[in-house]
Amino acid sequence: MQKTRLFIIFLALIVLATPVKTFAGFPIGKYRDIVVPSFNYYRQTDRFDGNDKVIKGPPGTSFTSYSSTLFIGYGITRRLDLIMNVPFLYQVNNLGQNGKIVDQGPGDFVGGLSYNLVNWGYTKFLSVQASAIVPLYSKINGENTALGLGDYGTEVKLMFCGSLPKLIADKGYFNTELTYRRYFDTQGPDQVSFMATVGYPVTKHNQVSVDLTFYRSYSSNKAFDPNIFTARDYAFFKPQLNVGHQFSRRASLFIGGYYVPFGLNTGVGYGGSVLFVFKL
Amino acid sequence: MASAPKVWAFQQEETAETGNVTLKPVPDNKEGIFAQREKIGYALRLHNNTGEVQKGTIAYSITTDDGKKVEDDSSKFSLKSYGSKSLILKIKPKPVGFYHINFRVNLPDYDDTVRNVFGVDPQKITSQLHKPADFDAFWTRTREDLEKVVPQYRVLERKDLSTDEKRVYSVEMHSYGDIVIRGWLVVPTDGKRFPVHYRVPGYVVGLKPNMDNDDFITFDLNVRGNGNSTDVMEIGTDNYCLFNIENKDKYIYRGVYMDCLRGVDFLMSHASLGIDINKIFVEGGSQGGALALITAALDKRVKVLTLQVPLYADIHNDLLVSSSYQTQVFPFKTFRKYQEKHPAFTWDKFFATWDYYDPQNFAPMVQCPVLMGIGLLDQFCPPRCSMALFNHIGSKNKEFVCVPNSTHEVNFDYFMFQNVWLREKFRIP
Repeated sequence: MQKTRLFIIFLALIVLATPVKTFAGFPIGKYRDIVVPSFNYYRQTDRFDGNDKVIKGPPGTSFTSYSSTLFIGYGITRRLDLIMNVPFLYQVNNLGQNGKIVDQGPGDFVGGLSYNLVNWGYTKFLSVQASAIVPLYSKINGENTALGLGDYGTEVKLMFCGSLPKLIADKGYFNTELTYRRYFDTQGPDQVSFMATVGYPVTKHNQVSVDLTFYRSYSSNKAFDPNIFTARDYAFFKPQLNVGHQFSRRASLFIGGYYVPFGLNTGVGYGGSVLFVFKL
Repeated sequence: MASAPKVWAFQQEETAETGNVTLKPVPDNKEGIFAQREKIGYALRLHNNTGEVQKGTIAYSITTDDGKKVEDDSSKFSLKSYGSKSLILKIKPKPVGFYHINFRVNLPDYDDTVRNVFGVDPQKITSQLHKPADFDAFWTRTREDLEKVVPQYRVLERKDLSTDEKRVYSVEMHSYGDIVIRGWLVVPTDGKRFPVHYRVPGYVVGLKPNMDNDDFITFDLNVRGNGNSTDVMEIGTDNYCLFNIENKDKYIYRGVYMDCLRGVDFLMSHASLGIDINKIFVEGGSQGGALALITAALDKRVKVLTLQVPLYADIHNDLLVSSSYQTQVFPFKTFRKYQEKHPAFTWDKFFATWDYYDPQNFAPMVQCPVLMGIGLLDQFCPPRCSMALFNHIGSKNKEFVCVPNSTHEVNFDYFMFQNVWLREKFRIP
């Protein structure tokens, strides 16, 4: 009797079991939600001039921002996700002997759709995202507030992410995002950024990740502004180191810190963030 | 959510080919599935692997999947040394069904044939249900007999097989006819409650503990005559599907089907082990595909069904299709051999038994979400029969995947998709 050719089930569960801090390129999954509350801290005392030269800030001056954001994502289909991001800012611009200015309130709302263009064996994903930017505050006498530029805008993002190639590592993930953002104002700005993230699980529930961000904002308005939310013409490079812990499939925590070693017309900033990731 | 059946296709990786001239036919629709009013298109990529000019003929012939000639044609070609050429083939639209298309390259001193299969609107394939009048009563009575058997579950933790991350249990229970069957339960230690991946076996395949799943409790059941259940009943591959085939009441699969339901009974009664009894998904390939479907059909406690290359589906047409094979393959090779030795066992008698067991007759009872994968080159489970089964499934929430260059198997991409699909159905992050 001819032996039956037996069917062997190959359970390919090599999915991205490691939680990721950024979701842009990874489809959320049909009918599923992601909720990410985060808390961010940013501070600067010195600044870069237009030639990447550090200019010491006047004694006693600094700019500090505390912000919390709520990111919500919902999987409409296997490929299409609805994403929303709502920030709330609390900022202190310390002017030294001239006192300090405190601003607080909601910042720029970002909402849009992310679409997975193609995947390679469900291990690598190429996605595009288009969003609208809506200021959740009003300009005062036609002037922008410290909470943002006060202009509507739009953002288009191309994202490529997935598992690290086997040649590099047998686990871990990467995420890359190329973003163009445009504010609808005569002074713009037009902003281009590139972010690359590599994450690697060090234990089953713990991981480290590194984000590298290159950011360039173009505008005819070259004035220096220590407030990154209202500045128009600047550039910086920002590396960030994160550690993550997975409490369960549904809950993870990330803590990260960063420093801005290179910049043009921007602050020599440093800070950190705490993110909770809930997958519902 | 109710939805129309969807088809997904994953290209099998091409294997390296050698020869004076290699031919690679690539269907216009990479999944090899065309619409009824659509022309069937192929790009025929020819490559000369020699340093000499090659002149020859390229031909194709199309038959239905049961061997009826449809059309053929040929054309001459010439290839420069190490040259390549791509020929476009357009064939007029075909009626619903699956078709074999063989491409032949003929050179003065070299011949090669490449087999392909394409489908035309397979979600419209129909087949007749040969359901006996007392089919439902037969299975109701069978289930009542199963319920009379006290399961006498035994669950033994196997520390020798367990790891820090997985706890392995050997489980044992009494099933239909008071036969003892066994299986393996693997419980992740990292959590308190998990959905269940319940796997039923292929043809006389011994299932082992499934240690590869972190998000599911895995339960691998060895039905009677399989794996660690063979000490009670060992029939072997040569005779398994023939065991008592002339008596529908005693046929092996009556007990086998009930073993699968007993497995669900086991899961439902052991929630204390961390089993989420509201999230049981049953899966199987080949014979396991048939068993998984029947389990989901007869037991609504199963919430999700995935099956690959389901054996025995639409068994009347399976006989028809297999009769066109130049070389017989399982299962009808086995059935035919039996018939040769037992001339009185006619096909009518064969169906008098098998009409109670054809998975297709159970398909309308399946109401849960279903994912099915098939290989278009499969001769054990002809695509036509698998799709007929699929189209009879009662659930509207069903999808199928075609793997064009695959025989009696699906591929890696299918399982990656199945994983995504399952997480979607169970809302698993």
